[in-house]
This record gives sequence, C-alpha cells and structure tokens, in this order.
Amino acid sequence: MSGLKLRNVRKSYGAVEVIKDVSLDIEPKEFVVFVGPSGCGKSTLLRMIAGLEEITVGDLEIGGTRMNDVDPSKRGIAMVFQSYALYPHLTVRENMGFALRFAGVAKDQIVKQVDDAAHTLALGELMDRLPRQLSGGQRQRVAIGRAIVRKPEVFLFDEPLSNLDAELRVHMRIELARLHKSLAATVVYVTHDQVEAMTLADKIVVMNRGVISQVGSPLDVYDNPDNVFVAGFIGSPKINFLKGVVERVSKTGVTVTLPGYSDAKISFATKSVLLAVGDAVTVGLRPQHFNTSGTLKFKLNVELIEHLGGESFVYAGNGSGDLITVATQLGRGLKAGEKFEARIDLAKALLFDQAGQRVR
Amino acid sequence: MNRRLHRIMVYTLLSIAAFVSVFPFLWLILGATNISPDILSGKATPGHALFDNIVKLTQQVDLVQLFYNSTKIAVIATALTLVVASLSGYAFEIFRSKLSDRIFAGLLAMLSIPFAALMIPLFIIMAKLHLINTHTAIIIPTVASIFMIFYFRQATKSFPTELRDAARVDGLKEWQIFFYIYVPVMRSTYAAATIIIFMANWNNYLWPLIVLQTNETKTLTLAVASLLSAYVPDYGVVMVATTLATLPTLFIFFVLQKQFVQGLLGSLK
Repeated sequence: MSGLKLRNVRKSYGAVEVIKDVSLDIEPKEFVVFVGPSGCGKSTLLRMIAGLEEITVGDLEIGGTRMNDVDPSKRGIAMVFQSYALYPHLTVRENMGFALRFAGVAKDQIVKQVDDAAHTLALGELMDRLPRQLSGGQRQRVAIGRAIVRKPEVFLFDEPLSNLDAELRVHMRIELARLHKSLAATVVYVTHDQVEAMTLADKIVVMNRGVISQVGSPLDVYDNPDNVFVAGFIGSPKINFLKGVVERVSKTGVTVTLPGYSDAKISFATKSVLLAVGDAVTVGLRPQHFNTSGTLKFKLNVELIEHLGGESFVYAGNGSGDLITVATQLGRGLKAGEKFEARIDLAKALLFDQAGQRVR
Repeated sequence: MNRRLHRIMVYTLLSIAAFVSVFPFLWLILGATNISPDILSGKATPGHALFDNIVKLTQQVDLVQLFYNSTKIAVIATALTLVVASLSGYAFEIFRSKLSDRIFAGLLAMLSIPFAALMIPLFIIMAKLHLINTHTAIIIPTVASIFMIFYFRQATKSFPTELRDAARVDGLKEWQIFFYIYVPVMRSTYAAATIIIFMANWNNYLWPLIVLQTNETKTLTLAVASLLSAYVPDYGVVMVATTLATLPTLFIFFVLQKQFVQGLLGSLK
C-alpha cells in the first residue's frame, strides 16, 4: 500500500480560493479522516486526490509519484461516493467488474476478483440483483466491493455513511474498521460526523475554511486542541467556552479570572507566556470533565436536562444568559429550576488567546 | 359530502377530457367502415364498407411505397436527431461555460423563428445541393432540432454527477461515459424523445410538400392530404388512409408508453 503526500496544495474557482495551501503526509496503511463543517473544503480536497478536480497550485504524490496530471483511473485509487454511484442499469456483479472490464482484464480474472470481493463483503446472494433492488446498507457494501475489486493503493471515501440510518451507520462503521484491518489499506475518509472520525481514524485532519486546523490522533485532537475551532468541533456535546481575563502573569504560567462566574480563578501552566495582564481570553471546559470532586466550583441553575439513559446532559446557567453544559451520570434526579453545583478539575481546563489559539 | 361532490366534479371533468381525446379516433375508425355519404350525414356506428374503402385506397395510391418512404424518413431522422440532440444536450449541460451558455441562449432565441420564414432559404440551399425531391432534403433540416437539444439538456440536469465521477475513476473516457452510462441510464428520456421526434417526422407535411415532387418520393401524410384535394373527396377512403397513417405512431407509443411517461417526468428510477 502507498502513502500519499500533499504539498502546498491550493484550489481556486476563479477568484475564490477554496483550498488554501494544504500540506499533509499520509503514511501507508493509515486511516485518515478529513473532518470539518459543510463547505470547509474536505470533499474538494478528496476529489483533488482522486483526480476529479484539478489542483490549481501544489503537488500530489501517491506512492512517491507525482499524480497532478495523471488520469483518475491510473492513480491507484478507488472511491466510494456518498450516493454510492452504482450504475443503475448494471447488476451487482457487473457493477463490481465494470472498471476491470475497461482496464482490459481477462474475463476469468474479473470473475475471480469479483467473487473474492463478494466473499469478503458477504454479497453472495445479491450478485445478480440491480442496485434498485438493494437496501441502503447493501448498496453501500456493493460500492465498497466495487472499490475493493480494483485492488487500489489508496481507498477514498466521501461521506459514505451519511445516507444510512443511525443503526446501520454504526454497523457499517464497524464493518469499515474491520475491512481496513483485513485489507491493511491506506484510507482517506471524508465526513462531517465527528463520531465517525473519532472511531475510525488513525489520524484526524480537522479542516476549516479551506485550511487544515489540526492534524493528530483522535484523542490528541480531543485532549489537546490547537485552537477554539478544533476544540468546538471535536467533542459532543460541544465544549463550554467561558470568557476570562488574565489577572496575573508569571514565568511559569498565568492566572485567569472568570468575571461571569463569581470571579472564579484558574491557573494555567504555560511554557511561553505571550499574554499580558488584562488580556481577554477564552477558557474551554469539556462537559465530560465535570465531576463531583473537582476543585473549581460553579453554582448554577438547571435550565434544561436531556436524559440519554447512561448519562444526562445538564444545561445550566448563572443568570447571565450563558449556559454551561455538564455531562453527568448523576443527573437523573435533577429538575429544571433546581440549584446545581458543577465541579471540574483545573488540570482539564483549556486556555485560548484572543485570536482563538491555544495557550500552552 | 364536500369530498363526494369534489370527486364527482373531478370524474366528470376527466370523462369530458377523455371523450374529447378519444372521440376523434373512434369517429376515424367508424368512418373507415362507412361510405362517404354516411360519414357526411354524421353516422357514428360501424358500417360494412371497410374492405371496399381499403380496395379503393390501394387503387388510388401505392400504399407500400408510401409506407416505405414515410418509415424510412421517420426512422432515419429519429435516429440521427436522437444522436445529435442528446450529444449536444449532454455537452451543453456537462461542459458548461459562459460561452456555451451564450451559444445555447442564441439557439433558444432561434426557436422563435417560424418555419415559414426558413422555407425559402432552406429550399435554395437544398436546390444548390441538388437535393430537391430527395428524402435527404427532408431529413437534414430536422436533425439538429433545437427543441430536442433543449429537452436533452434539461434532462441531463437529472443525470447524477457522481455516476460520471465514478465512471471517470473506473477509467472511462468521456465518449464511453456517454454511451455506456448516460444512454442506458437516460433510456426513459430517449424513449420520450423517440416518440416526440418520430411523430413530428411522420406527420411532417409542409416541408415535404414543397420538396417532394414525384409520387415515388411522397410520404403517407402527403398522400392522405392529396386524397382530400379531389373534386369530391371519398371520406371513407380518407378515413382508412388516416387510420393507417396513425397506426405506426400509436404502435410506438404503446411500446414505449411507460418510458415515455417516466421520461417526461424526468425520473431516473
């Protein structure tokens, strides 16, 4: 399996630049997920890798070879589309063997490769059906089978699960993870669903407005976001952002007060201090990091509770209008309007400067 | 009660519409079985003159030659129009640019030019090409049908771009995408277009009337019209001829009926 390199890649439509100087290394056999909100450029970047969109500036290498001007079919890639893009007039078997037919592969070899892929994906009974006779999940498996048959160097997935219902999505997610293990393939996967990104990826690439906001392992991106955007995008429910002011600066860290929360104070250890006393900052507190033993206390009024069974999400405020979300397993007895004390470990708090960049 | 009244009104209107649509055909077929005086007197019941009318018709015109001419023109013109219009419509939609959009707008503007205004220049062109009194002269002007290009361009909007992308990843060239993916996927569109184009060519009257000058080249539509130009037209014969002239389009419609409806709805299912 090949790796993939993007070097200072840009994409423009006329005067509008949608991909802005993206550089990225993807190792062989790595499962990389591009994640970001709609319009962030993740699908465009995937299509550029596939050869379906021209690269305006920059270089794309697959397996060490520059691929900018190479035909999509000769890049060693296979792509699974959001709508599956199965040819509606061809049976499952014909769909899966279609690319091989046009590549001039011998008939008996096509039959063998198609049967192998069908066996891997348990498509046996469906082989002579037309796409319209299949369910969403079956179509998805056929689309993946069509990709496998080509034995590509790199698999490209463009939001492949977004048309499935929630239950099937979970099932297919597990199947995809298994498939990646068994094929030991390089995978580039696009999604706007952070659960898919967190569960499938070896490496997450968080994109925003045509640039890469952060690259890292799922837990790294969750625990150590580089900026407010990544912190806000990764994690569900969304991280709480509290406005703060720098009260004290020392060589080893800063102390921040939270004016909206009884001037609560949080100290952050930092390696280099670029902040000054009086600077406005943002403090990020993940809903899951609240507990019963933390040293920082918030006295809040419960406004809304969502019970999910295993845990509850408590939306509580202090009268200022801002709500803090707390994920707790002890929320079953709570009712809207009640007083609520939320505690959090100071070590879990994240500090961002005025520009939204993480202060470490 | 309101719902019942509504249903009665709907069915009454539908029945009237169905009667208005079907009655001319019914009267045509009944007329073909009657003699001229009976038809003129408004008789709308089956008669016994069908065989006589057919014999009279075959005595007046060379039916086989007329069918051959009409079928030849309609089939060739339909096939060529389908190829040209669908390729153009596909290209106009898939490879959109400011220039192609302007060219297309220009084409649409040309739709407003009445055929009567084109007849004389077209006749001069055909005369210079020595094509007068040939079937080629009938076929050529119909092939690049602006309306059908427009029809295919609109239909192409429903052709999923992901299918084209998938085909490109599978290694197909543009012409292969067109013939191996687009054509089979859009077969309902082609079916509807086939009926529309075939009917237009089969019923084409004005231009063949000008260009075709001998009995050997004339079409069935011209022959039917010429039956009416006699001093005392035999309406029984005219009805038989008209019935026979209607049969091929009816046949094609019934064969492609399902796809025709889907094609007009723009469905890809």
